[in-house]
Amino acid sequence: MIIFGERINGMYRDVRTAIVERDKGVIQKLAKAQLDGGADVMDLNVGPAKGDAVEHFVWLAQTVHEITDKPLSLDSAKADLLVQVVPRVAEALPGTKLIINSCTAAPDYMAKLVPIAAKYGTSIIGLTMDQRGVPGNVEQRVECGAAFLMGALEGGIPIEDIYIDPIILPVNAAHKQQIHSIEAIRQLALVNDPPPKFIIGLSNVSQKCLLNHLLNRTYLVMALAAGLDAAICDAADAELIEAMIAAEVLLGKQLYSDEFVKAWKMQKGLA
Amino acid sequence: MAIPDVKQKWTGRVNTVTIGATKAEGGTRGRTVTIGGATGIPFLSFDGETPHPPAIALDVLDKAPVDWPEPLRAIYGDVWSDPAAWARRAKELGADLINLRLISTHPEEGDRSPEEAAETVRAVLAAVDLPLVIWGCDVPAKDQRVMPKVAEAAQGENCLLGACTESEYRTLAAAAQAYRHKLIALAPCDINKQKQVNILISDTGFPLTDLVLYPTTASLGYGMEYVYSILERGRLAALAGDRLMAQPVILDVGYEAWRSKEARIGDEATAAWGPPNERGAAWEAVTAADLLQGGADILILRHTKAVEVVRNLINDLVAA
Repeated sequence: MIIFGERINGMYRDVRTAIVERDKGVIQKLAKAQLDGGADVMDLNVGPAKGDAVEHFVWLAQTVHEITDKPLSLDSAKADLLVQVVPRVAEALPGTKLIINSCTAAPDYMAKLVPIAAKYGTSIIGLTMDQRGVPGNVEQRVECGAAFLMGALEGGIPIEDIYIDPIILPVNAAHKQQIHSIEAIRQLALVNDPPPKFIIGLSNVSQKCLLNHLLNRTYLVMALAAGLDAAICDAADAELIEAMIAAEVLLGKQLYSDEFVKAWKMQKGLA
Repeated sequence: MAIPDVKQKWTGRVNTVTIGATKAEGGTRGRTVTIGGATGIPFLSFDGETPHPPAIALDVLDKAPVDWPEPLRAIYGDVWSDPAAWARRAKELGADLINLRLISTHPEEGDRSPEEAAETVRAVLAAVDLPLVIWGCDVPAKDQRVMPKVAEAAQGENCLLGACTESEYRTLAAAAQAYRHKLIALAPCDINKQKQVNILISDTGFPLTDLVLYPTTASLGYGMEYVYSILERGRLAALAGDRLMAQPVILDVGYEAWRSKEARIGDEATAAWGPPNERGAAWEAVTAADLLQGGADILILRHTKAVEVVRNLINDLVAA
């Protein structure tokens, strides 16, 4: 599974303060914890930090890039912001793979972001929603996912750069939506051959839940069994990563050995 | 509508391993043998490359075999009481490597000492300039004494030493590392065990990139398809990027083929089985030809006719 390390997010007070004060140490320490846990991609989100969000993004990307060559996921729900951020980061960090996180299937979003992704050779994540909002069922998720996929392919994005996010809602607020997202992955996997990649924002499932870690790792395993390829999650959560590794072994994606957790870490250069 | 491109995109490749060392590299070999490096399923040239064709090693025992049937006696009988002379014969017959088995160190096969084994290795090294694969007698307690001496005697020659198993790997790995040899990791027809053995060897500090895997071997009619499926799964894991399974593979075809009833049985066989002096070589060649398709990098062979057939097949497959 492709791990998008999630902790560099302005929703957290320490990150927000560090962004505003340009405190590299705080950001790099958090990033290192994600990388040490096995993150393949670093997700960056400036959140509600005061000031110029474009400059914040560029600084955040440069700060994290100082300690890793791994791809960077530029995370914002604001298409207009991403349209400005992607060219700036691409220029500042040539050769670094970028991921636009995220677009939707709404025509105005796609018209803005798909050409940017094509021009700068980035990957792009499409949420299974459009101008009507977040679907409350499987069918509309599949419809939106298929619309995004077709639009991205027509816009010249190679299939290996296309991710679909079936939108994960908190279990304590939107009961039964969790299984809709999983069913949407199963159905969307059949829309194109080869299929796009599927990604979820894992921590959403357990937002404000007491036993959030247990919910996260259980849901991750369920989604992996349905065909999930990637998750935005806390790579520093060792039990989560171990559950993911075990699931990959059980799904036949990794060859079993008695020390399969260690084997995974050896492959990553972490053990 | 255009026909879709069915080419596989693999992220991994099989490691390359070089055996032997020339004078310039600190040894005395006339040339080295490099194996592995494949970037796809064996011999599918549209899918990936086979940069180094599979190599052929010929068996040399350190004492005259008592159970080799007549077709092999006809080839080696006049030299098989002298490993150096036998090694020269193997070179004349087209071997890429000498596969030296120190069977006389076995407690029930002569129980020769580590020093005597080292002397044999030195004699073979002096007799031919081909790279060596060297095996002990498969009795762990004895091999632990013999192989370090052997590794020392062949220091600088970059031999391939066999074999580490899940329970016995520390001594051999330490000796191979100290005297800079390559190492065989053995797991009998069990790919999960193979991965575990590789982890254990790696834990000693021995590089995964200096390993060659030995999944054991079975001949046609005696479980060959199990070995084939192990080879296939191993290759797919390597190509999918599993660095713990990216090593090239050695197979002991000659030994297994010549154990078969079909190879050993003489004139009493029915006429339908074909002439006994051709049957064993055919069994060996057919087994090798099949296992090559699964992904084999060194084939240990015995009969000249098998060498000829397998060499031609390899050349055809690599050229295709």
